[in-house]
Amino acid sequence: MKKFILAASVLVAVYSCKKAEAGAKENTTEATSEAPKTNNKIVTLNGGITEIVAALGHEKEIVATDVTSTYPASLKTTAKDLGHMRSMTIEPIMAVSPTLILASDKDINPELMGKIKSSGIKTEVFKQEYTVEGTKKLIEQVAKAIGNTDYQKLNDKIDADLKQVQPIAKKPKVLFIYARGNMLMVSGKNTPMASLITLAGGENAVTDFEDFKPLTPEAVVKANPDVLFFFETGLQGAGGNEGALKMPGVSQTNAGKNKKIIAMDGGLVSGFGPRVGEAAVGLNKLLIESTK
Amino acid sequence: MKAQSKLYFYLIISAVLLTIIAVLSLNTGVYDFGDNSPFRALWQFIKGDPHLSLSDKYVIWDVRAARIIMAILVGSMLSVSGTSLQGLFKNPLATGDLIGLTSGATLLAAIAIVLGGHFKEYLPEVVQFSLVGIAAFIGSFLSMMLVYRISTSGGKTNVVMMLLTGVAITAIGFSITGFLIYISKDEQLRDLTFWNLGSLAAATWTKNIILAIVTIIAYIILLPKGKALNAMMLGEKDAQHLGINVERLKKQIIIIVALMVGSCVAFSGTIGFVGLIVPYILRLLFKSNYAFILPLSAMCGSILLLTADTFSRSIVAPSELPIGILTALMGGPIFIAILVKFKKSL
Repeated sequence: MKKFILAASVLVAVYSCKKAEAGAKENTTEATSEAPKTNNKIVTLNGGITEIVAALGHEKEIVATDVTSTYPASLKTTAKDLGHMRSMTIEPIMAVSPTLILASDKDINPELMGKIKSSGIKTEVFKQEYTVEGTKKLIEQVAKAIGNTDYQKLNDKIDADLKQVQPIAKKPKVLFIYARGNMLMVSGKNTPMASLITLAGGENAVTDFEDFKPLTPEAVVKANPDVLFFFETGLQGAGGNEGALKMPGVSQTNAGKNKKIIAMDGGLVSGFGPRVGEAAVGLNKLLIESTK
Repeated sequence: MKAQSKLYFYLIISAVLLTIIAVLSLNTGVYDFGDNSPFRALWQFIKGDPHLSLSDKYVIWDVRAARIIMAILVGSMLSVSGTSLQGLFKNPLATGDLIGLTSGATLLAAIAIVLGGHFKEYLPEVVQFSLVGIAAFIGSFLSMMLVYRISTSGGKTNVVMMLLTGVAITAIGFSITGFLIYISKDEQLRDLTFWNLGSLAAATWTKNIILAIVTIIAYIILLPKGKALNAMMLGEKDAQHLGINVERLKKQIIIIVALMVGSCVAFSGTIGFVGLIVPYILRLLFKSNYAFILPLSAMCGSILLLTADTFSRSIVAPSELPIGILTALMGGPIFIAILVKFKKSL
């Protein structure tokens, strides 16, 4: 019984600390969060969509984003990070009292979607396709949703950027490896990476499956890529170039033999937002480098 | 009669404690009510006050209140299912998650979600949830039959067999559920975290109504069975002599526990150890007097799960810890304590 009372009192103590902390937090947010200049308070739940809203000049209206929204970096300080789409719950979204929620159909979980729908907040879910056309369509739809018709310049910029992509004589086979800790996944067809690799004048080394699949040594050897492609953070996590060369099967491939490893910023590669042209040019340059 | 009034006294104490925790929980969360308070918002909602802002109303009623009620119902049922199973198997280690009922329920719920995904748009919400609930019930019921058949003969339960059957069912369930999640692309299955560590984040009033109906039916039948379970402790023959219909009692417990575990799993995933922790603590206080610990475990389970859930959504705000982490953290040591204590008799 004594133990029980002790445990209970510890619980109460911890709880009251938590409350005090929460109280402190609330006060700080009140102090820092100025009302946005416009009447829109937007929550963007996808990196690409976040970029579009910011590129259209509405960055100040974004009050919260998800973890994939890494660009523009200034959002880190102005918008609340709601974490990962998969573990997100409704109350933190409600807490920023948004007037508009923008999300992609690719990554929102149905439970949360149901909650968002019943919350009565205006919500737009966009169909996202990882193509230049798809990006342009997305830009148009997002622009309409936030009441801005001046989006043509973003599309023009994408076209101008893409013009800078130089054709590569011998298309390199590129294998994108998504590394998170010990989990290695490779991207197959219909992924943003595969699409960007094609745009940049390479070809995706995986042709026999869609989406992401766990990396197996045999599949790597079979795909025999000329270049290994990573997110910068993923490559660091995997132990840099050294670590990548030690991955199962890699040593048997052209990429492993010639030590051709490239990395780009994850948000830039997978966003398929207004910077899709820039991303293609960047990757194109890296591929030209690595085929020399 | 004295014992009876003592029981009421404890029940009232637990109810008061539960109310206090519910009030604290209602006040916990990242949403800021501004110059309104959560309690005033709730009062306005109950009165139907038109001045209550839509988002205040939504957060207080459809998010926090719904979640609190779900924690109370699920916690209570998980705890009572543990207590009843321990009475049935005459062993403090028998709980829904340890003997594999939860995995069986998870497996069938997952199958129902994947298969039901093809035609669920055409069904009303209540039917959708009920389908998954019924599938989970069948899963836990089949697991229960399997465990009982394998581990019990002539009214004696072989504990090792019981636990190992649970391990086997859990392994099978885990692998198939994992496979289903791997092939289901559009996250209709949520993810493995939900099925392994549980979550109350998806609480809705529709689900709560279904859970409440199950709770009421289960408790009308189960809660008065305390004395009968006490008699079972003497052994089935003696219980029979005392005028207890042992076979009928067993059947009732098996079906109702399967129903309770199934519906909890369908809506909140796998929240482990609740059925172990609560009866263990109650046994420390009241020995194995089921007339006491059965009704009290209904109350204390709610207290435990509501406390755990309130912590889970406030420790790492704005995201949440899966609630199963917290219950396992509490339950693991108690599991070991039981093993040590009953080392000789297991």
